[in-house]
Amino acid sequence: MAVTLYGTFAADRLALLVLALGLTGAALLTYALATVNAGSIVSALVGVAASWSLSAWTRGTGAPGGTVLAAVGIFVAAELAYWSLEQASVPDEGELVARRAAGLALRGFGALFLVACVLAALGLRPGGGLILETVGVAAAVGLLAIVLVLARAVYEAER
Amino acid sequence: MTDGVVRYATPKLGGYVVLTALGLLASLIFARPELAAVSAPFAVVLAIGLAVSRRPDVRVYVDVDRDRLLEDEEVVLEIELDARDSAPRLELLVEVPSGLELVSGANPVALRLGFGEERRLELRFRCTHWGAPRLGDLHLRAGDAAGLLVWEETLERGSVLRVYPRPEELRQLVGPRETQLFTGNRVSRAKGEGLEFADLRQFVPGDRIRRINWRASARRGELWVNEFHAERNADVILFLDSFVDARRSDRGTLDEAVRAAATLTERYLLEKDRVGLVNFGGVLNWLRPGTGLVQRYRIVEALLNTEITLSYAWKEIDVLPRGTLPPKALVLALTPLLDDRAIGALLDLRARGFDLVIVEVSPLPYAETPPGELGELAFRLWKLRRDGRRLQYERAGAPVVEWREGEPLTSVLEGVNASRRHARARA
Repeated sequence: MAVTLYGTFAADRLALLVLALGLTGAALLTYALATVNAGSIVSALVGVAASWSLSAWTRGTGAPGGTVLAAVGIFVAAELAYWSLEQASVPDEGELVARRAAGLALRGFGALFLVACVLAALGLRPGGGLILETVGVAAAVGLLAIVLVLARAVYEAER
Repeated sequence: MTDGVVRYATPKLGGYVVLTALGLLASLIFARPELAAVSAPFAVVLAIGLAVSRRPDVRVYVDVDRDRLLEDEEVVLEIELDARDSAPRLELLVEVPSGLELVSGANPVALRLGFGEERRLELRFRCTHWGAPRLGDLHLRAGDAAGLLVWEETLERGSVLRVYPRPEELRQLVGPRETQLFTGNRVSRAKGEGLEFADLRQFVPGDRIRRINWRASARRGELWVNEFHAERNADVILFLDSFVDARRSDRGTLDEAVRAAATLTERYLLEKDRVGLVNFGGVLNWLRPGTGLVQRYRIVEALLNTEITLSYAWKEIDVLPRGTLPPKALVLALTPLLDDRAIGALLDLRARGFDLVIVEVSPLPYAETPPGELGELAFRLWKLRRDGRRLQYERAGAPVVEWREGEPLTSVLEGVNASRRHARARA
């Protein structure tokens, strides 16, 4: 949803179409999670990615501002969505939740550096500066870390 | 995990492949290299995830703390997991058969096992219904670290539990009209060695001195001796009608009948009677009368395997082998009086002179009045027909006592005894 809203506000034109695509993706994701339908997750992520791409296209050539953030956002959303589907059938133990949350945070960091490296290798300069984007993503990862700490605390309390 | 493991791809693997492919394709078509960057994390997870993914090696040991128990008792299932290799996510599902409910422990559960880690899980189940459920069959599903591949296996490590019906408290049993030759706890009408005084008779050579009734002898001027009733056992045949079962979710007439049969078996065997079983239904089973603890277990085991088997074959009492129904045996029938074959067989038994007592396990609590005026009329006619059948048995000299849901068995048996006393008084 954050990727959609960012793309909508950043779009130079066709903002409504960007928003519509993004909202469709978000609605599909909600439907997929509510009905435990794995097939719809791909459609939802494609919808959000298409929304972002359209927004990027309206801003001309080159990587627009927030590309790293959008890429990591879509990746983390995908990871969380598939994790949620697994929880619908068999819930994880407290310890496993903590480990998986830590793993997800690591993958988020990895994705951040990977996307930044790929953009650099392609000779693209994402707007807003890599440092600013890194700070934004670090905030998101920090949020995940808080979740991890809380999950661990719950696990310890259960033990 | 051993052979018989099925490996398959998760929806996540398919989704990531699609997202990577679409990202790269869109990047080429629209000449937007940043789309390739967006799909890069998915591609890397796929590549690394599939490269490091391997089949987990987890040994599973299953054990139950006991295999014979009564209804409402609890059994503990212990599952020991020994990981020879790490399992990032292992899902474990224990199949819970009907008649058991989980009291404590998580089922299903997803956990992580490190390299060489051993875990012990305890699941506590309560036995809610008699029977022979199989507990301990497991479904294992192990996923790799990236959640792209899954290995699934079903382990049939279950053991069959024997859940015996919980016996009811009985104050008295239905006494047989005739006793047999063997020593038991029943006062026979025949005279012999025993404790119950029967009569006086004149002394004859060979009588024991201690049997002389000195008071009667002094009054009559000659020797008189006491006579006693012999203490003998009886043959009791439990006739279980398993043609039809009136049922409502977890309760039914067959359940009640089996519980009653188990209780009666225990009590009659304690009285040193010989007890036999005739399971008259779609599948015919029988056990010749016997005594002792072994016979008790034989009968209860046979009862545990009782089930309704649909059959249209007409069966009469002649199909039973000789010796299953010994002469002078008390036949105690537990029936809902719903199937004509069982009804006919019981009338046949009575016509052959067996001492027959019918405990009608009432199907009325399980029956619903059909809607409408015609439905109500049909229901009333059905009840009248049942009354007619009861009358038919009573005319034939076999008392019928209705056993309604929730009523204790002991009061039903007291009703039978009262009915038999009344019949004797009338005779």
